[in-house]
Amino acid sequence: MAASRVFSSLRSHISKVRSAGCVVCVECVHTGRSMFSADKALLLKLRKNTGYTFINCKKALEKFSNDITQAEHWLHDQAQKEGWSKASKLENRRTSEGLIALLKKEKIAVMVEVNCETDFVARNETFQQLVQDVAFATLEHHQSKTMSGYMKSMMSAEDVCNLTVPESSSVADQLALAIGRLGENISVRRAVSVGVPAEWHVGSYVHGPVSGRSRVPMGRYGALVVFQGGPEGQEEVLGKKLGQHIVGEAPLSLGHIGDVSCGESETRLLPQSFLLDPQYTVEQFLALQNAQVLDFIRFKCGEETQEQHAALAS
Amino acid sequence: MAALVGVRACFSALQLSSPSLLHSSYKLCAVPLSRRNFAAEAKKVFSRDKPHVNVGTIGHVDHGKTTLTAAITKVLAEAGGAHYKKYEDIDNAPEEKARGITINASHVEYTTPNRHYAHTDCPGHADYVKNMITGTAQLDGCILVVAATDGQMPQTREHLLLARQIGVQHVVVYVNKADAVDDPELLQLVELEIRELLSEFGYDGDNTPVICGSALCALENRQPDLGVNSIMKLLEVVDEFIPLPKRDLDRPFLLPIEGVYSIPGRGTVVTGTLERGVIKKGDECEFVGHNRSAKSVVTGIEMFHQSLDRAEAGDNLGALVRGVKREDMRRGMVMCKPGSIQPHQKIKAQVYILSKEEGGRHKPFVTNFMPVMFSLTWDMACRILLPDGKEMVMPGEDTSLTLTLRQPMVLEKGQRFTLRDGNRTIGTGLVTDILPTTPEDQHNWG
Repeated sequence: MAASRVFSSLRSHISKVRSAGCVVCVECVHTGRSMFSADKALLLKLRKNTGYTFINCKKALEKFSNDITQAEHWLHDQAQKEGWSKASKLENRRTSEGLIALLKKEKIAVMVEVNCETDFVARNETFQQLVQDVAFATLEHHQSKTMSGYMKSMMSAEDVCNLTVPESSSVADQLALAIGRLGENISVRRAVSVGVPAEWHVGSYVHGPVSGRSRVPMGRYGALVVFQGGPEGQEEVLGKKLGQHIVGEAPLSLGHIGDVSCGESETRLLPQSFLLDPQYTVEQFLALQNAQVLDFIRFKCGEETQEQHAALAS
Repeated sequence: MAALVGVRACFSALQLSSPSLLHSSYKLCAVPLSRRNFAAEAKKVFSRDKPHVNVGTIGHVDHGKTTLTAAITKVLAEAGGAHYKKYEDIDNAPEEKARGITINASHVEYTTPNRHYAHTDCPGHADYVKNMITGTAQLDGCILVVAATDGQMPQTREHLLLARQIGVQHVVVYVNKADAVDDPELLQLVELEIRELLSEFGYDGDNTPVICGSALCALENRQPDLGVNSIMKLLEVVDEFIPLPKRDLDRPFLLPIEGVYSIPGRGTVVTGTLERGVIKKGDECEFVGHNRSAKSVVTGIEMFHQSLDRAEAGDNLGALVRGVKREDMRRGMVMCKPGSIQPHQKIKAQVYILSKEEGGRHKPFVTNFMPVMFSLTWDMACRILLPDGKEMVMPGEDTSLTLTLRQPMVLEKGQRFTLRDGNRTIGTGLVTDILPTTPEDQHNWG
């Protein structure tokens, strides 16, 4: 909670600086308007290429006397500024829809959640691109750290926003850009990264309606599961099955070997009956596969995180 | 809101039950009054003499959907056809945020000289799909709002996609904020782009009415050409362009059978509520379902122990049928106009799975799950096949499914059904397609 407050004040601060710059630009446009008028065909072309609003495309063309390249540059800059001012305007609006993206590379896996206000935006490609960028930024950040053995790190929204997107600006900038474009408040909720030693495996499963044009699987639920053993060459399949079970049955803790199930409401993973083959418990299923689950993480889009829950309780 | 729901409920009650009311009172009076007189009287009581149409606004955030809605109520309030709702009243309505199995998205109603409208805003994609499946608020048409300053924006596309998905056939366009654009050429470009977009989504982009105006001007009583007049024009084209939903009376009759009785000396009587159409004494009929089929003739219709010549959709009736034995028929079959409906075994459906909070299961299901399907008056075990690329279905999700019944039952496109597992309702669905059965479907039942 405190972290997000710091972030939001930072955001509004920056936007103040930026919007000051914006005023100046707008004034230049007004003085320029009487001299040039935008070419119609160029206007349509610019609009098609960039997707920015008609009125801004027109302004840009007037400003640069129909020079489409300069106009496009100016529009991108302008979009960033408008994004920041929009972001500070919308920052208090509740975001409970969105997407969870999951990315794996060798022995590292990251899972991020980005929220928006309505599921219309969650279906939008611009938003999905943003989520993908955030996932890659998180992975890059993780890879840059030298590490050995098992590592699991939860990142706060603030930390994620300070990361830089590969070949581009910071995550916070990207976020503002998307807000300007989509007109809704958008926020990074959380991110987690997991790194395991060579003989362990990370299984994953993402559940949700997004049929991917993106390279990263994303959806409304995601699970990472860290395990050992399993049939040779089939670790991927086993990991996915376990991930599906975790998404479906929503266990809260791992439990211990030998725990007795307390029925339908069981929240420990091992004594739960296995989703894909209910005649076994997860523990029995793992024994058959000669595998052992060491840890797992489950994200559900829009759910209350533990920190929020604690903040509300206190 | 409550009042609106009440009024709507009355309206639908009137639609459904007025024929039965008419018939019963006709007999009570025992005076040969013409039915038309009664109808006029009944209408006075409910003061509903205009056909009802559901419309919705769709469009990008900040393009003025809510302002337009406010402007419509303001303009019509001056003509006595609505209560003026301020922007804040609409935007802050708790319904906007309320979610549940049957969200009642409509929170504004108004009347034009020809019709009565319920007006819906756009809470979310999943909510709309849910509404479509459960059948709470079907949209007969949409008003697409686009700001002249912006042109189409990301959510314009998403909303149109949704409209397509939930089967909205008719869209009219309102280009808003025309007062903020001083260049008429720009307006033309926006219109051009919208028409292109509509065609891209399979609508008739060339002939769709596009109205330019400013909802804000209408609210602030300035520039009447862009303001009030544009709203009037919009309502006119909505009246014209969005057709009335087809009435149930015009379709071939269908009576899902609730009970079968044998009356000594007279014959066999089937009972049920007439789902649609009109039955007259002497009509030919067909019984289908439960792997049986028989043809017959309706020799008598009774309601409230009185015989009548004609029954309409919504009537709860008993029909005396010639030459069929009670043992040949059972609950779950239907009596229909011969050849109008067929039993099927395999269908494709759009299904909403209830979340745990809505009373559904807490856990997902995977392919080959076998719930019981309930529709009309029948129930039958079925097997679920998930679509390609989908491995499980979580509670609270909507999805497309293929369902295979143990036995063919009466099913048609657009029919609604419920899925239950044990003693729990797990979901509700809408038939989207009838599929041919393959030999494997027969073997699977073991």
